[in-house]
Amino acid sequence: MSTRTDHSSRPGASGSALWLCAFRPFFLLTAVHALFAVGYWAGALAGLLPLPDVPGGAIAWHAHELIFGFATASIAGFLLTAIIEFTGAPPVGRKAVTSLLALWFCGRIAYAMAGTIGIGPAALMDVGFLILLVVRIAGPLWRDPSRRHVAFFHVLVALAASHAGFYIALLRQTDAIAWLLLAVGLLMILIIVALSRISMRLVNDVLEAQGGLGAPYLARPPRRNFAIFCIAVYSGAEFVFPGNGAAGWLALAAAAAVFNLLNDWHVGRALFQRWVLIPYVVYWAMALGYVTLGIGLLSGGGLGSAGHHVLLIGALGLSILIVMAVAGRMHSGYGLDHRRWLPVAAAVLLVAGLTRAAAGLPHAGAVHALLLQGAAVLWIVAWSIYLAYSWRVLSGPRPDGGQGCDEPRELS
Amino acid sequence: MKGCGRTLQRRAAATGGYLWSGWGSLASLCLVMAAWSFAAQTLGPLILPTPLEAFATLMGLFRDGTAWPEIVVTARRAMLGFGMSVVVGSVLGLAAGVSMTAAMMARPVVTLLLGMPPIAWLILALLWFGAGDGTPVFTVFIACFPIIFVGAMQGTRTLDGQLKEVAQVFGLPLWMKLTDVYLPHVVSYLFPAWIAALGMSWKIVVMAELLSTEDGIGAALAVSRSHLDTAASMAWIVALVGMLLAIEYLLLEPVKRRVESWREL
Repeated sequence: MSTRTDHSSRPGASGSALWLCAFRPFFLLTAVHALFAVGYWAGALAGLLPLPDVPGGAIAWHAHELIFGFATASIAGFLLTAIIEFTGAPPVGRKAVTSLLALWFCGRIAYAMAGTIGIGPAALMDVGFLILLVVRIAGPLWRDPSRRHVAFFHVLVALAASHAGFYIALLRQTDAIAWLLLAVGLLMILIIVALSRISMRLVNDVLEAQGGLGAPYLARPPRRNFAIFCIAVYSGAEFVFPGNGAAGWLALAAAAAVFNLLNDWHVGRALFQRWVLIPYVVYWAMALGYVTLGIGLLSGGGLGSAGHHVLLIGALGLSILIVMAVAGRMHSGYGLDHRRWLPVAAAVLLVAGLTRAAAGLPHAGAVHALLLQGAAVLWIVAWSIYLAYSWRVLSGPRPDGGQGCDEPRELS
Repeated sequence: MKGCGRTLQRRAAATGGYLWSGWGSLASLCLVMAAWSFAAQTLGPLILPTPLEAFATLMGLFRDGTAWPEIVVTARRAMLGFGMSVVVGSVLGLAAGVSMTAAMMARPVVTLLLGMPPIAWLILALLWFGAGDGTPVFTVFIACFPIIFVGAMQGTRTLDGQLKEVAQVFGLPLWMKLTDVYLPHVVSYLFPAWIAALGMSWKIVVMAELLSTEDGIGAALAVSRSHLDTAASMAWIVALVGMLLAIEYLLLEPVKRRVESWREL
């Protein structure tokens, strides 16, 4: 994972350390927005803060801010670094990064104020942000002769389209949440695409460190494509036929296909290393999320909220945490972090997901509000831990005095 | 002792790996269920009940004690016909494979048997054996026999001559030649034929029962059809396919992998 870049033309060469690499401000914003969006939501649910008065309602704001605020910030940071690394393209300039940051930030403000200023400015900023991101990564992806990573382009375009659909639905005063649920499926697909690349490196590094590669880990494309197909079909059915029981089978198919992916991951005791275990748990959470959705649809039990929260907090939250913890440190010139905070934060996040899912169960009854607040607190604790241990890494100078996104010479 | 423990651990891991690999098949089956479910929603319960309705009906059949006796009768007939074709087909096929002349003579007969539609055999069997076990058992036997015969014959015909010579030169005892040289090769041809014949046997037995007997899954299907009870019909079909899948994936496929494992060496 070495970048082929010219140090003298680094975007952050003459600026603060925050601009050394595109992912730095985005990863920081991801964590900060995770704290803000859920903190505000918990405060609003507790009656301490006013519920967001936006078109689509408060729940749309909550879901939108976590899907298209929190998640897309991390996606931007990851893609602007990873695509450059995968394809060997020159780094993204500081101007492009600041434009993206400005669009993302203004999008947050504009949507929060959409009740007053209308939905137009938020739509312009938010969709513009994703289109600009697509434009920035499209060139390197399509110019790469092998075009091995073009799946990122397809998913990102679909994500931009679903975001545009969300705003169009708000303008037409139709069901905007359906577009957010479609985006959840796209995010799950993006996780599979991204983890297949990252895991090949992480798992094989662990296997190598444990004494040779008797049977090297391979993220096999047919299994991955099958899982992506099942998730895409389920998301399509959920979008076109919301609440249809038949889609429950598709959700169960998606769950089984994700479990099927784990055939590649059973690599012996290396599985219990955090670098392997956390991505492994991501897939478990994804599968459990789809199982919950499937059972809910087949039984008519209304488990949609529980299932989607397992997907979003468990699978999406954990995958963002592990990617930011690994890529954020490695590309800041630090080695992998072997301290306990990462497994602790991952465990807290997982419990947050399960707690939030429990709150969505029909039997939660009297403890529903308690579980909601508990999940929010756990989420805030997990991202506070990340921020506490990553703040200096992301905002400070590289320990090796270097510039740009290069990795440290040796894995520590 | 340590080696034994390691072997057990390896086998447990292999079994776990095999079972886990079933998720892919399960995903495909769920996609089929989804297609069935969407079709059921379009066509309505009279034409096609949903999978859940079919499962619920099947559970009801198990609860009231209707299902097991019929399944046992059908399984007995299918296994009897299949077992006979395995024994006769394998022995004759192996014998035919040993001799080039016998193989040449057998070829048109096998083509004839393979080309003959099972329904034609069923009509003949009805005339010969009447209503009862004889008709379905014979139909299954005669439909499965050529498949197994061809597999066994090909297994013997394709034996590696050089390996035979090496075994001869080293003076291997007959038992060792059989188990270490001939059998692994022949079984790798025989086993897929047995699996194909097993699948065939379940389809044939139900068809035969539908037309010739008063008990078994086929007869139950005939009754449910006459009552226009689509849910019960689908329930019986689910029971049939479920048993076939269970036998194939839990019994035959693991054995097949084991006997064919030498090919990967």
